[in-house]
Amino acid sequence: MATDTDKKKQPGIAILIVEILILAFLVYYTIMAMLAPVIKRDALETEFGFIQDDKKENNRDFTTDSAYLSLLKQKSYLESRVIMANTDSIYLTISLPDSTVNLEISGVSVHTAPIKHYELSRIIKKGNEYVISSFLSRPFTIQKDYSSIPKEPLMIKMAPKDTSEYQPDIIPDTADFEPVNYIMEMDNGIRLFIYQDENKLNPGDHFHRITFDFRYRLAAFIETLRSVLVFKVPDYHPYIKIRLPRSDAKIIYRAMPKNGQVALFR
Amino acid sequence: MEFDKPNNELYKDQTNEGMSGGAIDKHPADQEIPKHSWFAKVFQNILISLIGVITLFVLIVFFTWLIPAIQEIPTGERTRITNSVEMKNDPEYKKQIAQITKDIQRLTGKYNSYTTGQSYLVINTTDNLFYLYKNKKLIREGHCSSGSYKMLKTEEGRSWIFKTPKGKFWIQGKITNPTWRRPDWAFVEEGLPIPSQDDPSRYEYGVLGDYAMALGDGYLIHGTLYKRFLGMPVTHGCVRLNDEDLEAIFHSLTIGSSVYIY
Repeated sequence: MATDTDKKKQPGIAILIVEILILAFLVYYTIMAMLAPVIKRDALETEFGFIQDDKKENNRDFTTDSAYLSLLKQKSYLESRVIMANTDSIYLTISLPDSTVNLEISGVSVHTAPIKHYELSRIIKKGNEYVISSFLSRPFTIQKDYSSIPKEPLMIKMAPKDTSEYQPDIIPDTADFEPVNYIMEMDNGIRLFIYQDENKLNPGDHFHRITFDFRYRLAAFIETLRSVLVFKVPDYHPYIKIRLPRSDAKIIYRAMPKNGQVALFR
Repeated sequence: MEFDKPNNELYKDQTNEGMSGGAIDKHPADQEIPKHSWFAKVFQNILISLIGVITLFVLIVFFTWLIPAIQEIPTGERTRITNSVEMKNDPEYKKQIAQITKDIQRLTGKYNSYTTGQSYLVINTTDNLFYLYKNKKLIREGHCSSGSYKMLKTEEGRSWIFKTPKGKFWIQGKITNPTWRRPDWAFVEEGLPIPSQDDPSRYEYGVLGDYAMALGDGYLIHGTLYKRFLGMPVTHGCVRLNDEDLEAIFHSLTIGSSVYIY
């Protein structure tokens, strides 16, 4: 028979078990999350890595040479741009050495915006140069986007039944005050974050960016959790985070087609 | 009646029923709770709530910020740059460098050929601005008006979206003293009955300015009577310009000239 002391101890033991379980889950979650970039890196190396084939000509790895690497990056970027230029669609090129973002149509640059700040995922920034250059030699296509502004600011107006109901349009309000932040999810797993950045941001703009970012982080956490709960290593998404002036960020978002393409030069 | 009893009585009855004999029952009001115990309870509740909130906050930060940050901890070896002289003197290296350089030159040449030396027009529909280029140089810029993004709906279920299309277009026709043939929506918008296709009321003269350039699918670059709206998204999909800009563009662009709208 359980004594009074044992009864008192029971809730304490239950709490302890719950705490251990939570801790174990946190450790398990962390391990799975840490495995994700490793698996992504391995997958990229398998798909884009250098394969030594002595039977072929011009097939030796010189990726330890900076001049060779620099040329390889240029070539990758140009290859991407040429592929995109052959379509009639509007596309985006991001040149980190020039700190510019370009909107282009059929090879013609139609809008250039300065990058005020950028941040790259470590896998892109410091991954195997040959692998990353090959990975970026193909343009990436937008699959989904999340934005603080509508793509097309549609206003619905019901037609008047007769001339007595007709009212001429009022002058549109062109005041530019809405915060512009958006995230584009690419087909190759890259996430492109574009945030507005002005010299003077309102406190409201800061708050908006934090809440916008938090909502996306929460969605990413839920996605990771879903994988982890079924004992699957979650997908890792390398990121490119860019800050642009608000007006440029808005122009780019509105101009890019739903499945627009992007190329990166780093 | 039970209800007629004073509250104290009722309380006693209820408690005595549920108790085995001999228990001493006291009305709650009679029980003295030590002051420090009441404070301790409140303090304990606040503390538990606070710990709960902090735990939740820590968990949120852990899952949404810390884990993504941990994922960025370097794994694997970075490409080691050696720039060895031995490699640079390797004939295979030289051959590969020459090949890549050749590829770059070819790709650059191909890419540069996309930008024509002839005149072309660029239209920014977000800010309602235009840019005219000649020999790859900007020669004129100014305000224009583009689609309003208004969706006109009728009770019968017909609808029109007034937006300027985006992408690459070319001048398909050039018209001097154009006449506007009012489409159905122009009547619907004003609550007028839609006339027959050849009805004279469909034709309006002098409202499109002195020139118009056709982009296809009924979209035009033309002038306007409403110059105060230039720089605003007010059109039904066409691009409006002021008289001087329209004339300059009309004379710069030829049939086949490119128009890039974004």
